[in-house]
Amino acid sequence: MTELLRILQLARKDFSYFFRTKWLMAILLSLNLSDMLVVALVYGKLMDFNYFRFFVPAVVIMGLFVASLDTGRRIWLAIREGMIHYYLSLPISTEGIVAAYLLAGGLAAMVYSSSLLLIALVVLPAHAVWSTFVLLPFLFVLATGLAGIAATLAALASTHGEFFFAYQQIVQVVLLTLSTVFYPIDVVRLYLPPFLVKIVSLNPLSLAAEAMRQYTFAGAPVEPWSLIMLLLTSIPLAIIGALAYLTALHSIQVKGKL
Amino acid sequence: MRNVIRLVWFDLKQELRPPIWIIMEWVTFTIQLGIYGALMSQLVTGISNYQQFYAIGFVVMMTFDIGAHTGRHFVEHAHEGRLPYLLSLPISRSKLFLSIALQGGTELALMLSVPLAISLVLIGNLSAISVAAAIATLFCLGFGVAGVMLGLSFIAFKSADLYTAITVGLSSIIVRFSTVLYPFIFLPPNYAVAAFLSPLTYGADLVRFFLGFDPSILLNPTYAAAVLTALAVGTLGLGMFLLQRLVEGVKSA
Repeated sequence: MTELLRILQLARKDFSYFFRTKWLMAILLSLNLSDMLVVALVYGKLMDFNYFRFFVPAVVIMGLFVASLDTGRRIWLAIREGMIHYYLSLPISTEGIVAAYLLAGGLAAMVYSSSLLLIALVVLPAHAVWSTFVLLPFLFVLATGLAGIAATLAALASTHGEFFFAYQQIVQVVLLTLSTVFYPIDVVRLYLPPFLVKIVSLNPLSLAAEAMRQYTFAGAPVEPWSLIMLLLTSIPLAIIGALAYLTALHSIQVKGKL
Repeated sequence: MRNVIRLVWFDLKQELRPPIWIIMEWVTFTIQLGIYGALMSQLVTGISNYQQFYAIGFVVMMTFDIGAHTGRHFVEHAHEGRLPYLLSLPISRSKLFLSIALQGGTELALMLSVPLAISLVLIGNLSAISVAAAIATLFCLGFGVAGVMLGLSFIAFKSADLYTAITVGLSSIIVRFSTVLYPFIFLPPNYAVAAFLSPLTYGADLVRFFLGFDPSILLNPTYAAAVLTALAVGTLGLGMFLLQRLVEGVKSA
């Protein structure tokens, strides 16, 4: 019980740090809101189909993704600035530290993307808002999985800032371009080879974006299989991230550095 | 001049050992153009070849990012206490400013070399003059943007955090409210007003004009050239003036 309480205390600290970083909030909000209210609208005028309806729900998932990835930056900062030694001296297990970071990353991403969802609901009529409540726990697992990717990158980059941000950029670009966040799967099938189409279909961002479009905004009945797929693709990411961060923490405990 | 080159190399070598950011920018460009640009091109029906249009837009975005990074980098270093060291060097203020501009220009040339080459091959059928004019436009835009970031430096001396928040937040707005991703004629009237205020609108349309895009979807090139020149000269001048006033408190000789 005490351990759980300490995990929650540490998670709360990290969670509040995310929202207190002014420049980060400025980047995220300006990027996501301008994508939603400018890019989606103008692209819609260049295309024959309703791109605004297609892209706005996906922006919510993009927000979730980018906010989750910031977990890596916070872990990397803790490693670089030596804060990690302080955390390791606290009466909490290393597994507890890892759990706290992933929990905070997932929660911060959920809160941030929920604010985007509220704006999306204002600009785009939704046919089944209640479906969002069914989606939320699955999106939380996805956010934790994405935070896991970020934790892996931070552990790999060690104290080298340029490597961490470079890894983060490439992961962000690859995961977003190889997804159906920006374009429908039919277009992807026409242009990309079959193995890449498979990757695009199984990308958790594609699954989440499609779920948001279909269930919340189009009002289609929730299909349990698609939500199970979302879990199956997200949980391994969270486990890999947790293991990578745990290994990094053990290494710091033994050698004093990474 | 040797001192200027030494100072340029002093900063630049940190970017080149290892040149991870340069390679990352090239990889990002290739993925974005090869997948995103190609797939969006299948969806966009308002322009004949959206991939080519997007390629130039992305190069302009990169120019903007590098220019902004140069200006921000200098201001952040100033705030962190590196500026007093630079000011104590036996080098005049004008040479110090020249070294900053040269460093930004070299970084810009290195990062844009591959993306621009790919874009030019994709567009094809170009003359040496049109390519040279497009490159000159990109450098003019890069210096202008760096000047804007230096011009905003007065905020950094009050709060570095606020300065970063304003400049990075402003950056994404400037990109979205411009003709980098879409032609001006497709912008709704209320967005078009904001696009007129974005330097990227003029940079992107002028580069596209030199590279042979349909002039009917671009802004008047004379007007764009005038705005870009004014921006580069005006903001760099303002940046120099503000820095000297704020950092040293008095005008330098």
